[in-house]
Order: sequence, then C-alpha cells, then structure tokens
Amino acid sequence: MAANLTAGTDAGTPGPGSAGTARATGKGRTSPAGRPRRTARLREALWGYTFMAPALALFAVMGVYTIVYGFSLSFAQWNGFWPQWHWRGLRNYTDLLGGSPTYAPIVRTAALNTLYVMIAVPVLTVLISFPLALVLNSIRRFQGVLRSVYFLPYVTTGIAVYFAWQYILEPEGAINLLLQSVGLGSLSQPQGWLGNPDTALPTLIMVMVWSAVPVSMLLYLTGLQSLDGSLLEAAQLDGAGRVRTALHIIWPLMRPMTLVITLLNLRDALQGFQMFLIMTNGGPGDSTSVLGLETYRLAFLSELSPTLGLASALGWLLFVAALVVAFLNQRATRRTQ
Amino acid sequence: MEHSPAFRQGRRRLLAAAPAMALLAAGCGRSAGAGRDRLTMWTFKQSHVKALDAAAAAFTAQTGTKVAIQAITPDDAFLTKVQAAARTNDLPDVIEVHANGDDLSFGGAGLLEDLAGTVGRSWLDKYLPQVRKDGAVTAAQYRDSLTEGSKTMGVKEGQRFSVPLTVGTFGIVYADRRRLASAGVTEPPATWEQFIDALAAVHRTDPKRGGITIGVQQPSTALEWLMQPMAFGMLGKERFQALFGSDPSKGFASADGQRVLTEYGRVTPYWMPGTAAKSIDDADLSFAQGKSAFLVGGTFTLAFLAANGADPANIMTFPVPPPARAAIPGMQLSPFALTGLSVTRTSRRKDEAMAWLRFLSQPDVAADFGRAALDVPPNLLTGADRKAVGPLLTTMLDSFGTGENAYNAGDTTYRPSLYDPGKVGAVLAGYTPLKSTGARQTGNHISSMIKSYWAEQ
Repeated sequence: MAANLTAGTDAGTPGPGSAGTARATGKGRTSPAGRPRRTARLREALWGYTFMAPALALFAVMGVYTIVYGFSLSFAQWNGFWPQWHWRGLRNYTDLLGGSPTYAPIVRTAALNTLYVMIAVPVLTVLISFPLALVLNSIRRFQGVLRSVYFLPYVTTGIAVYFAWQYILEPEGAINLLLQSVGLGSLSQPQGWLGNPDTALPTLIMVMVWSAVPVSMLLYLTGLQSLDGSLLEAAQLDGAGRVRTALHIIWPLMRPMTLVITLLNLRDALQGFQMFLIMTNGGPGDSTSVLGLETYRLAFLSELSPTLGLASALGWLLFVAALVVAFLNQRATRRTQ
Repeated sequence: MEHSPAFRQGRRRLLAAAPAMALLAAGCGRSAGAGRDRLTMWTFKQSHVKALDAAAAAFTAQTGTKVAIQAITPDDAFLTKVQAAARTNDLPDVIEVHANGDDLSFGGAGLLEDLAGTVGRSWLDKYLPQVRKDGAVTAAQYRDSLTEGSKTMGVKEGQRFSVPLTVGTFGIVYADRRRLASAGVTEPPATWEQFIDALAAVHRTDPKRGGITIGVQQPSTALEWLMQPMAFGMLGKERFQALFGSDPSKGFASADGQRVLTEYGRVTPYWMPGTAAKSIDDADLSFAQGKSAFLVGGTFTLAFLAANGADPANIMTFPVPPPARAAIPGMQLSPFALTGLSVTRTSRRKDEAMAWLRFLSQPDVAADFGRAALDVPPNLLTGADRKAVGPLLTTMLDSFGTGENAYNAGDTTYRPSLYDPGKVGAVLAGYTPLKSTGARQTGNHISSMIKSYWAEQ
C-alpha cells in the first residue's frame, strides 16, 4: 500500500494532502514539476466527467427536459400532432379548477373519488396488515409458507390480477356464487360488483388493499422482529395480556413504520390508475374515475382532442397535492421522533 | 496517471463500442421508416389483415410492388403509435383511418397527403353515392375547424385526406335467431314496440342470458347506436337535430326530448347483467358466447362476432327501429364511410401508395376484400361482385337507405363543434342501464351540457 502511494506520488499523482501543501506554499503554480501534475489532475477530472456524462445526459433528457417540457405544455393546447402549441396561459388550470363547465365537473368527481381512495386504502391496509403481522410473528410453524402465501398478491403481475378480479366480480363470478352458496344471496350483485355504481368504488378499494397488504405486512414484520424482547417480557411480567401488549406497547413503537406504510399507500392512491383503467375505465358512469385516470384519459383517450395541455396541467396539480401530502407526512414523522 | 494494461484495454473496448451502440440505438428508433424495400401499411382492425394480405398478394402479382400490412390494436394503441411515429418521422406509407375523424385530424396537422388533386370523378364514381364526399373537407367541417380547441384545426375546404375502404352504419341490432324463435319471435322487429316485445319475450324464457348488451363502458355507444336512430325515426330529421341545437327549449329537457328519453328507457329491464361494466369488445364477446340474446353494434361488428365463434347463420340483423307512430315509420339507415385509406406526407413511395389505393377501390377487389373481412365495401356492387360479398353483407347492403328520411349517423353537422358524445353518453348511462337518475333529470343535464358546448362555439 505504501509502495503504491509512493509510486503514485512519483508519477505526478498527488498523495493525500499534497494539493493543499502546494497551494499553501504557492510552489504548485510556478514550479516546472507542477505542470505535469496539473495535466494529470486535469486528465483525471476529464475521466471522471466522462464516466459521469452518460448519467448526466440521461438525467438532462429524461429528467430536466421532460419536466420543463411537461410544465410548459401545461400552459398550452396541443393534440400531439399539430406542428406548434397554442398558448393558453393559465386557462388550462382555471378550466380544471372550475372555469370550464365541461372539465371542472369531471375533475371534481375524480378528486372526490381520489379522496375516498386516499383515506380508505391506507386505513384499511394498516388495519389488516398490522394484526396479520402480529399473528404471523407469533406463530412458529409454517411461518415461511404463510408469509409466502400472504406475499403472493404482491409478486403477481398487476394486469393479470386485475383481469382475474374482473372475472371474479362478474354477475356470474365467484363472489356472487359464494354468497349464494352460503345463503347470503341477498348480498350478491345482479349487475356484478363493478357494474353497480354504489359498489364499484368500494370494490376497487378492496382490491387495492388486497394488493397493498403484503408489503405493509412485511414492513410490520421487519419492525416486530427488531423490537427489544425485554420490553415485551416486562409487559408480560406486569400482567399485560396479548391485546393490551399489542395496543399499548407494540403499536406505539410501530408508529414510524405505520407512517411509512401510510405514505406509500397515499402515493399509490394519488397517482395510481392502472387498475381503474383496466377494470372499470372510470365507470359505471363516473363512479370510479380518479384523478390519475382522468389525466391519462385527457392525454391519450380523448380521441385526438387537443387536451394534452389539460392533461399536463392536471398532472402538475396532482404533483402539488403529492407535495402537500409529503409535507404533512414529514411534519407527522418529526412529531413522532 | 498510470493505468494497468487491463484498464487501458477495457477503455479502448468501451470507446470502440460507443459508436456501435449509438448506431444500434439509431437503428432501433427507425424500425419502420428507413431502408424500406416495400410499401408499408398500418391498420387498427385485426379483422382486415387477412383480407388486405390477400389483396396485397394480388397487387404484387399485378405491379411487382410488395405491401407489408401491420395491425396495431386497439384503436387507442393505434392512435398513440401514430402520434409517436409522427414525432419521430417514422410513419408508414399508408394508414387505415376512421373516415371523417382521424383522417381530418391527421390531415389538419400535416401528417397526410392531400388527395383532392389525384382522386377524381372516375375514381369516386365507383363508390356508393352516399360516401363519395367522405374523407374530403366540407364547408361545415372547415367552419368547425376554426373553433378554438377543434380536433380538425388546420384543414381547408376541398382537401381530401382519405378514400373509403369500408362503409356501414351504427344502429344494427344483432340477435340470436334460434333463441328468438324459441321465444316465438321469427321476424325482425319493424317497430320500437315490437323490439321491446321481442326483448321481453326472450328475457322471459331466459332472464339470465336473454338480455341485450352494448359497450356502455364507452358511453357514447348507447347514445349514438341505440337512442339516436330511434329518436331520429320518432321525431323526424328537423326535430331530432333540434335536440342538439342551441335553443334549449327544443332540447332534451323539452317535451320532444322527454318523449325520446321515456321511450328509450323502456329497454331498461332487459339489459344483460353487468352491461354497465362492459367495453365494446366485452359486449360483443358476451353475445358471441351466448350470454346475451341481443347486441347493438354496427355493420362492422359482424367480423368480430364471427372471429369469436358466433355462427353467422344463427344471427338475425335489423336496424334499430322507430316507434309505430313515428315521424318516419319506415326509416332506413344511410351508410357512411367508416374507415378510409390515407397516404402519409412522409411516404417515399407516394406513387406506389396511390396505386395501392386505386387497386383497392376496384369493385372486384373490394368485393373480395369485403367477403374476406366480413365488412361492407364502399363500392357500387352489381352482378357477380355483389354476389361475391356473401348473403349477410348483401342483406346489410339492402338495408341501406338514401335521402332525407334515412338516418345518417356520420352526419354531425347539427351538433356544436366541441360536442363530446362520450360525456353526454355518460349522463345517459346514468338513466339507463344504471337507473341512478330519471328522464327529467337526465334531460335537464344533457340540455345544460349542450348549451355549454354552444357557448364555447
């Protein structure tokens, strides 16, 4: 190691602290030996930048350019074909926020549905995954098998799962058949669970929760396994039962994990739309339209209407909403620490 | 700085590979555009591919020019692909388009060749008179294109951006002949009342699988394919068009509008379970699989049904009928161009592309195409060519009407230019099949929407 360092210094590569010394004495600028040293440094820097260049170029094209392009587009009217954009200023935003009798009601309905999803999905996910993790953590036999079983929804391809759910939820699907076979036929949905505007959104929320529980459960399990066992032992010695220990000892300790899970699910609820697109396309009527889906529709499903700018504006409004959520989450995290 | 030989060798390899990778990336980006040795054509209809391939083989035998046909489905994917290809200058030579729709949007944006100078009288005379103007920009379409936000901005009156490939109309009811017969219905219903009676009769025999379906997930279908033809026959052309006019007193909230909605609402008990959640393809599949006894579609639906196992011999078709005491009792449906063929501006083989279009417009070629694709060709077919399309398509050709009293679903000139049938259809879907609103509320809502579209005109 020492030999290497010496060889490096001899060849003109500065050793640790050498550049500082040269600057302090002022010798590096004037001495003839400084020139090759500077060239070497330059070459090294050049190589460094060369290796960084692809990543920088990629970020410039895929990141900066797209963001600037998308933001500019949100002030314009364009259908993707016209040779140039038509500037509308803030009208795309004002139209979406109430100015247009055509678009404002659509956004309003979608925003309300998104809000329901944002509240229901995280709450239900936590309510299901925390007890599930507690149970899984406490059993000794078949723990690995059961974990795999509960994790299956997460590793299955989304689109295939959505199509499978569609069949299950049809008028003659498995859910209705099951309800009828156990004598609960009155609860079955003759129009299918996705065909009735009253049940479509709650049904989609349940499917979202079903696919969100595995990761949340795994996160809780990780948290539970890192708990200090002496705390639980102390609680048991004090006579606390399982429920009491879970609610008053474990649950408060899991609060940071709960915040992470909530934030992840909030993000999915705010931006995700694939399931809504595939399973209902926002219907029946507009009972399952959400903001993410409406953004996609305005961009790609508007039959060539020049609504790419509106889509972009709605996307930026969603971004602002996501920022607010992130800010609130940060505040909440700080309070719990 | 000294580097090991292995490092230097690695660096040399990296630098040598960089141009090759750049070339590879450039090559990937221009898969369809560069180095073509044949004419390329995109279609959004899978059912047209075999028929077009057969026509292309005949064209190659005649001219020596090869044609590569590629289907991109569904429609949304096709539009997105065209959008992306237009941005990367990578469009094919010929594309199949929705006539009087996509062709005008693409044409206005400068993607398509203006065919007005090339497609002359002798070419157009081969087509049915009703569809000769389709694909060309009319005065009304030009006026609409001037509205801010219009899809067709940039077009000029007299330009032509497509020639017809298939024609037909919406508002064709498909019914299961055997199941109708077992319910005592042997003749196609001639009035709306007979239609409702037929629905009731078949539904009685099999409440679960005897209903009617349509792709309500795309809500414009029920509005444009079922309600509008019935309303046109019921009210007559003038009063029907007034429903969509700028005078709200004659709109859907008026007495006429309420009569239409009430009559249309009679279909409500007979929707197939789950219809509200069906896409167009899902609805067609349901009928093909026997889950419903009736399906509302267009002339273009037959090919999809046949491809998915429906027996054409067991299918009864009839146009959506008007009520018995209608303004136009024997109403017929006027055909219009459903799809057309366009040549792209960036094509390097424009002459060959035009020759391909001209070839497909020949009556014998069109008849063969129609039979193979189970789709109605735009030509004035007579004699052997008419027989060549087969009995079912001949029946559809016979049901086409002309003149003022024939309902032309392709005529949208009476509506405000920013009118969106999907959004109006969604309100109608709330009335039926969803039953979440009544006729009065629905009429008021649609009227106020149409008023706002006119206000933006």
